Amino acid sequence: MNIIGPDTLVFGVENVNDCEQYLKDYGLEPVGSGVFEALDGTSVIVLAKDDASLPPALESGSMLRKTVYGVADQATLDAIKEELSTDREVSTLPDGSLEACDDQGFCLGFQITIRKQLNLPAETVNSPGAPPQRPLNVIGADPKSNPLPRTLSHVVYFVPDVAKAEAFYVERLGFFCTDRFTGLGPFLRPAGCQDHHTLFMIQTPAFLQGCEHFTFHLAGPTELLQAGTQFSEKGYETFWGPGRHIFGSNWFWYFNSPFGCHVEYDADMDIHDDKWQEREAPVNADTTQIFHFLARDKWFPSGPPPAKK
Amino acid sequence: MSAKVVKLCNMDQLADGTSRGFDPLGEGRDTLFIVRRGKVVKAYINSCPHWHGAPMAWRKDAYLTSDKKRIACYGHEAEFDIENGECLSGPCLGQSLTALPIHVSLNNTLYLLLKDLQHKNTLL
Repeated sequence: MNIIGPDTLVFGVENVNDCEQYLKDYGLEPVGSGVFEALDGTSVIVLAKDDASLPPALESGSMLRKTVYGVADQATLDAIKEELSTDREVSTLPDGSLEACDDQGFCLGFQITIRKQLNLPAETVNSPGAPPQRPLNVIGADPKSNPLPRTLSHVVYFVPDVAKAEAFYVERLGFFCTDRFTGLGPFLRPAGCQDHHTLFMIQTPAFLQGCEHFTFHLAGPTELLQAGTQFSEKGYETFWGPGRHIFGSNWFWYFNSPFGCHVEYDADMDIHDDKWQEREAPVNADTTQIFHFLARDKWFPSGPPPAKK
Repeated sequence: MSAKVVKLCNMDQLADGTSRGFDPLGEGRDTLFIVRRGKVVKAYINSCPHWHGAPMAWRKDAYLTSDKKRIACYGHEAEFDIENGECLSGPCLGQSLTALPIHVSLNNTLYLLLKDLQHKNTLL
C-alpha cells in the first residue's frame, strides 16, 4: 500500500488558546479553522474537545482524536477501503477521504496526500578533507534565522497491546518495522516513505492509551538547536534533549505541551528501503541516545566576583 | 552553605489561584513551584513521580490544569491534588508530589529553608 505518512494530526483540547499559541511559537503557520501548517502543508488541527466535528475520544481521554495519513493515489485509497472493510466499518467522508479505527481504537483518516513538494536547501557544513559545502565568505551561524518546521515527521502512540497494534499496521496497511525496543515497541514506516519511522508505539497500561508525542522535521541539527533554543526562550519547558537518537539517528528535543503529550523538534533521520534488516535493543539511556545535552538556561557561571569576607 | 534561608517572593506577587516556579539553587531551571489558594500556599518539587526529574509545567509557571483546580504534569497528563500533592489521575496514580515546607513571615513573605530543598532534591 502506497501510504506516504501522516498528513495531519487532529486534537480536541482543553484550552484552545494555549494550544494555538503553542503551535504558533513552535513555528507552524495558522491558516484558519484551527489548522497549523508546516512548510509542505502537513499540519496539526486544534479544536475544542467538545467540537461536534471530532471523532469520539478514546476511553483514556487522550486529546489526539485522529491521525490522517496521506496516500499516493485513489488506487491506494480503494485498496485500503477494500482491505479494512473486511472486518470493520470504513466511512467515506464528503471530501473523499476514508475514516476507520485501527485495532486499538485510534481513529485514522486516509486521503490523497496534501503534501507539497519542497524545494529547499539542506543545511551545510564544512568538513576538513571534504569539499566545502559553504562557499568562501558565506557564514553558517545567523542569530536572526527563524527555523520553520518543514514536514510532519512522526507520531508516537501509547498502546495497550503492542503486538496486536503492530500486526495491524504491518499486515493490513503494509508498514515495515525498521527497528524495535525489546518489550516496548516497534518503529514503523509505511511503504511509500523512506523515513526510519513515521509511527512508533509503546506498550503501556490501557488507561494511558493515546499520543506520547508528535514532531516535525527541521532542516538539520543547527536548525533544531536554534529552534529549540528560541522555543525555550519563550518559556516552554524541556522534557528531554537536545540530543541524538540511535535508532533513526534523528536529533531530538522534546518539550512539555498543553496537548497532553510531548511535542518534539527532530532533524536528520535515517532513510531506509526494503533491504534494511530490523535491529532490536533493550531500552535504556545507552540505547536511546548517542549523546544528550541537558538544556539549561544558565550555561556558564557568571556574576560578580565573590564578596570579600 | 552560605544562605540558609531563601526568600521566594511576597504573597502579593503571587495572584490567588496561580502557580509559579523558582530556582533558588541557581540550577538554570525551576526546581520547585508554589501554588496559592487564598491564604494557603503549597510548595512542591518540580518533578513528576511518574518519571523522577521530569519537569511538569508546559510553559514557565504553568503548573495548573486549565480550570486551575488541580496541579498538572504536562508530560503525560497526570493530575494532582493541590492540597496534598496526591496523584488523582494519570500514570502515577497512588504516588504523590514531594512537598516542601514554606514559611510565611508576618509581612507575608514566603521563605524556604535551603536544606529542605537540597535534601528533597537528592532523594529524586
